[in-house]
Amino acid sequence: MATRAGSAPSTYSPSTQKRKQTRLDLKDPDWVRSDGRLFHQCRPAFFRTGAVTAAAGSAYAELGDTKVIVSVFGPRESKKAMMYSDTGRLNCNVSYTTFATSVRGQGSDHKEFSSMLHKALEGAIILESFPKTTVDVFALVLETSGSDLPLIVSCASLALADAGIMIYDLVTAVSVSCHGSNLILDPLVEEESYQEGSLMITYMPSREEVTQLTITGEWSPTRIHEAMNLCLSACSNLGNVMRSCLKEAAAAASDDTNE
Amino acid sequence: MKTKDEERMVTPGEILGKASEMRPGRGAYAVAETGDVYASLTGRLSWLPPRPDSPDQRPIVEITGHKAHGVVPEPGSIVIARVKKVMAKMASADIMCVDEKSVREKFTGIIRQQDVRATEIDKVDIHSSFRAGDIVRASVLSLGDARAYYLSTAKNELGVVSAAESTTGATMIPISWTEMQCPLSGQIEPRKVAKV
Repeated sequence: MATRAGSAPSTYSPSTQKRKQTRLDLKDPDWVRSDGRLFHQCRPAFFRTGAVTAAAGSAYAELGDTKVIVSVFGPRESKKAMMYSDTGRLNCNVSYTTFATSVRGQGSDHKEFSSMLHKALEGAIILESFPKTTVDVFALVLETSGSDLPLIVSCASLALADAGIMIYDLVTAVSVSCHGSNLILDPLVEEESYQEGSLMITYMPSREEVTQLTITGEWSPTRIHEAMNLCLSACSNLGNVMRSCLKEAAAAASDDTNE
Repeated sequence: MKTKDEERMVTPGEILGKASEMRPGRGAYAVAETGDVYASLTGRLSWLPPRPDSPDQRPIVEITGHKAHGVVPEPGSIVIARVKKVMAKMASADIMCVDEKSVREKFTGIIRQQDVRATEIDKVDIHSSFRAGDIVRASVLSLGDARAYYLSTAKNELGVVSAAESTTGATMIPISWTEMQCPLSGQIEPRKVAKV
């Protein structure tokens, strides 16, 4: 952003020239992650329910710098144009704020996240418990720093539990990124952009059932096994964190009503 | 063991026990293959004793959510609705409360001519039973079609609970099961009145 002497300064925007000049050599076995984590270590997660009072249920989640807020509306009347259905309907929408990414923009290259969230959640919701009505799930990503969709899925299932929608189990999600011979759990944006393949699992920890498995890139069966085991144990730990968050919120709410 | 768990908070997916020892009530479900009973809501666990005459003597486990909203009309529940439109053969109403809990967003219901009362159902004049703006207590007959739930006022305790007189707007007082009177103007208007 050189300016000639005497000229008006150009408007400032985060420059793409700031990207590192050297490509990260992620296949190097001595390579250390930029935030100092081990390859198989997730960032600490923070969950809180009841963030949005206008919604039937809501949850806010942070995974490192990634921040997501999910509101759940319903069960409410389906639109008049919809046909009758004796099971409930699920409607998901994922949107990014303009300030979510490091470069301000529309964030519109993640349109498939809405349908992926739908597929992850529909196996976990007991649709027969709310016939003829619709449950709307709206996810808003406030800041992204990698591993967005897994956090969206986990936060959405927490919001559903907060809304009182009957679900078979909480849904937790973790993704793994493949770099040569290394498997990196919970990748950051830069690790995701240089990955050779990725695997995301959305898992119900208590029922021990997988609701969605997404694989991109080239994987051998042994690598898939290894990655899946990593993800499943990380999902179980995440499930415990989410459960304790729900119990705290429920205990606090019941203490308020008892007073 | 049961008394200790009486006031326990549970989250969806937690195992409550075996299906051989308990029956899943509202907020719980059983899986046939493993025989476990799981929770499906967040809330407090409570045990209900089985009915003495039923062949199944397992206690019923229920979970009461900590939030008082989120009700959906179910067949058999008593609802409070406001009449929106009165047509020749039916009246459409917005359901506002279900079984003493208010809904967050209204549901649409219709009361058909044959469901207004129990006797002489083909001689019912909808316009003499309901007017737009009346508050009625009705029971949900069924889920209905895609657009509306089917409601019925065919019992003594169901019908118009509160209505405003058409000219003065004052709340009318019921004087019989078929008439209400305005305290200001003395006008008598026909309604299907609920026995409160």
